[in-house]
Amino acid sequence: MTIAMLANLLPILLVAFGIVLTLLLIAWQRSQKLILAFTLLVFISALVASISLPVHLNESVQVTPLLKVDGYGNFAFMLVLIASIAVSVLSSTWLNSAAEVHDEYFVLIQLVALGAGILVLSSHFAALFLGFELLSIALVGLAGYGRNCQYSVETSFKYLILSASASSFMLLGIAFIYSQVGSLSFAPAHVNAGYGLFYQAGMLLFLGGVAFKLSLAPFHFWTPDVYQGAPTPVTLLLATVSKVAMFIVLLKYWFSQIEVMSAHHSGEGIQSIISLLAITSMLAGNALALKQQNIKRLLAYSSIAHMGYLLIVLLIISPQSIALAWQSTLFYLSAYVLATISIFSALILTSTKQNSTSMQVIDWHGLFWHRPSLAVLIIIAVLSLAGIPLTMGFIGKFYVLNVAVQAQQWWLIASLVVGSGIGLFYYLTIIFTLFNSEQQGSYEQGLNLPVLKGIHQVSVIGLILLGVFWGVFPDTLSQLFAIQ
Amino acid sequence: MSAIPLSHILILASILFIIGFVGVIVRKNTLYMLMSLEVMLNAVGVAFIGAGSAWQQADGQVMFILILTLAAAEVAVGLALLIQMQRKFKSLDIDLLSKLRG
Repeated sequence: MTIAMLANLLPILLVAFGIVLTLLLIAWQRSQKLILAFTLLVFISALVASISLPVHLNESVQVTPLLKVDGYGNFAFMLVLIASIAVSVLSSTWLNSAAEVHDEYFVLIQLVALGAGILVLSSHFAALFLGFELLSIALVGLAGYGRNCQYSVETSFKYLILSASASSFMLLGIAFIYSQVGSLSFAPAHVNAGYGLFYQAGMLLFLGGVAFKLSLAPFHFWTPDVYQGAPTPVTLLLATVSKVAMFIVLLKYWFSQIEVMSAHHSGEGIQSIISLLAITSMLAGNALALKQQNIKRLLAYSSIAHMGYLLIVLLIISPQSIALAWQSTLFYLSAYVLATISIFSALILTSTKQNSTSMQVIDWHGLFWHRPSLAVLIIIAVLSLAGIPLTMGFIGKFYVLNVAVQAQQWWLIASLVVGSGIGLFYYLTIIFTLFNSEQQGSYEQGLNLPVLKGIHQVSVIGLILLGVFWGVFPDTLSQLFAIQ
Repeated sequence: MSAIPLSHILILASILFIIGFVGVIVRKNTLYMLMSLEVMLNAVGVAFIGAGSAWQQADGQVMFILILTLAAAEVAVGLALLIQMQRKFKSLDIDLLSKLRG
């Protein structure tokens, strides 16, 4: 291993050193503003380092046996860092209302980002395990961070128990796979069609553990409760960073197994299980969101549906279309992350301390007449989540449909269309509510809204412009990860 | 003395794992739930060590050490939550933690 190879890990190393330095900084001076500024500095320098990393998309550098740096993973890490920056900035409003100094909070956010970074670059089960647990345990701490909040114990205990059982399922799966394959690395040393029953069982257990983290349909019961009970910035972290990292690592493992899968007789069975997961997530997520009034629960169900749409990408069979699958995934995830950041920013900027866990859709009614910029932000984000043309979400869905047509999965296409159709009902309800000024109470509503500060106004307008720009000119984004 | 076949070790691990999982689901006391989680994790450890010794590699044991570290970290967080719960509700019954619905 040379210094030049080690330089490829610079973004992760910066975050890791940032955590240690933040701890030292806390020992020196307990000032929340200083720690926030330092956290942002760490994230931004890691972002700059990963943008300037000289790794092209279709090449990869195996830095250690555990970590492999490639262009796709690097792009995903940029998404993770952008989401972490957004979470840190948005947290400051939430934290300021409490009397204590919250220094550990930012350390935990950095730990989550580090875990996600290890996940997206991993090429070995040990790295996957370490990244997964770094992410999960830090998130358990964050989910219950507001100690005095009503639901903090319940939220974090639910998340702890379910995430720990999911990770033990995943680990048992890894142990079974290892017992048959003889190597913990993703890429198998030799393709052998004779793996026994334990290989299939291991695959299923592994998929179950990952599906829990991605909150796919039969494993989704924790999602609405944890989304609602956690502090809103932490919910944003759960919805973006943890999902992006888990999906990328699942894709990396899956695509390294394509040869084994096509040689092995169980490949088809596992593929049909994945399509079943995708179909149930799309339909159940959208159907359950229909009767939701609480915004955070509604977004939880909508994220279940979105992970279902994205799961279609796994059904690529031929090794030639892997590049297309990666391109679709990265575009879809960028659209999803941007829309989620937008809608959660609006949620945080319109909610007060008292009602942050119980924000209803109805609380937004008439928002357009009081805070037009926030309302426009919500509209763009919602349209993008719904997949209306001229938004990023539409292009993302188009990519996924393209993949599904190539893989000839007609059932999945049908449920994608049906799911999006059901989704329109609750997405459009939000938009109608924004313009509604008939009902009583809208006048006091306007008075209760927190005042927007200058920096928030600027970032809201920035998010609106980004959403519109990439919606109208998607090429500018997809060029970044298209194969030349 | 003949060696124990790998499948026996994996079956033992599965049985231990199922015992732990049933414990997590059935038990009402949160302390016992955490203990059952430990059983699940250690069952995975047995599977890893068995697989590692079958392939004559150290990887299985390395994974076991990582799993032990994870179990310690998880219990640390879990016990902290238990103390919070005891203070708030004066009880460790899991049914008290079902306020979030909708």
